[in-house]
Amino acid sequence: MTAPEPVGPDRGTVLMRAKEIVKRPVVTLGGEAVAQIKDIVYGGSAGEIIGFTLAGRGLFAGPRKEALAWAKVHALGRDALMIADEGALEDRKSVLAKADAHGGDVIASRVLTEDGTELGKVSDVILEVGRTATVVGYAIDSTEALGKNGRTVLIPLPHTISVSGEALIVPPSATDFVTDDLSGFGAAVHAFRTRLAGGS
Amino acid sequence: MRFSEAKNRKVVSTSGAVTVGKIRRFIVDPRSVSVAAIVLHTNKNVDGSNDTVFWRDLKAFGRDAVTIESADVITRPEGDFELLADKEHRVLGKPVLDDGGNDLGQVKDVEFDPANGRIRALLTDSEEIEGDRIIGLGPYALVVRSG
Repeated sequence: MTAPEPVGPDRGTVLMRAKEIVKRPVVTLGGEAVAQIKDIVYGGSAGEIIGFTLAGRGLFAGPRKEALAWAKVHALGRDALMIADEGALEDRKSVLAKADAHGGDVIASRVLTEDGTELGKVSDVILEVGRTATVVGYAIDSTEALGKNGRTVLIPLPHTISVSGEALIVPPSATDFVTDDLSGFGAAVHAFRTRLAGGS
Repeated sequence: MRFSEAKNRKVVSTSGAVTVGKIRRFIVDPRSVSVAAIVLHTNKNVDGSNDTVFWRDLKAFGRDAVTIESADVITRPEGDFELLADKEHRVLGKPVLDDGGNDLGQVKDVEFDPANGRIRALLTDSEEIEGDRIIGLGPYALVVRSG
């Protein structure tokens, strides 16, 4: 898998929180809402979104047999996920077949630095969404190690990351690029990855 | 002209020189980006449940009245057109989404050309969206090209 483009301003991408994406309606260009997003399906070590599982719309609607591959997404915006038409949906199994077992299952996992400091527990996943959608960071309920009084902060990730069900390992320098909210986080991810690549 | 100005305008049959009703609402065709028909509050002199006049059957959309040849052109929606005429495809009050998945607000009014029925613009609380950007109209939203 090729590494994603570095994150930076003016690349036509938007940062989103995974928890905000869930439940967003799936709407055709004809203006019909056909489903809502149930879960994000992650794949690969670069944390790419490969698709979504779906639920019916409305209070009592259950999961749907169909899923949506990222390749069939017209656009993922602030308020809706747009598809050309209902033909974009496909069998769940074919989308889930490409899923990475650990990729999405990170909520409540501990984030540890390579030198053994625990930074906190993951409360949300931060995505960079454009033509592709990739994981660029986590929201974590921080430990005292970060000096943020236990607040929830955002921590950038390298292009690839070691994930197990138990812990996520990040380079120690990630702590230099922690931000409090999404504004400025894109630049922090970019600066962090530039430093890891040996830049200034 | 706006839907809000044109609503309640008299509809007059020129052959009988009688008012047959007034405009209740508009039916919009998203493919041609135009008013496809008007729906009337009909007067008692009009037969049965017919209440719809296709744009092509209008003689003129005048300042004081809309004219038709005779009450015979007042019909009811049928076939594919029935879907556009139903409640779920009403434009006023409909949320507008751009094709990037961003909410642009609700349609508060519509600006159209009385000469040919073309939709010139959709008006929301915060913006004016050119009619040419319309892509689709469904039960959930009116979808427009990103600006």
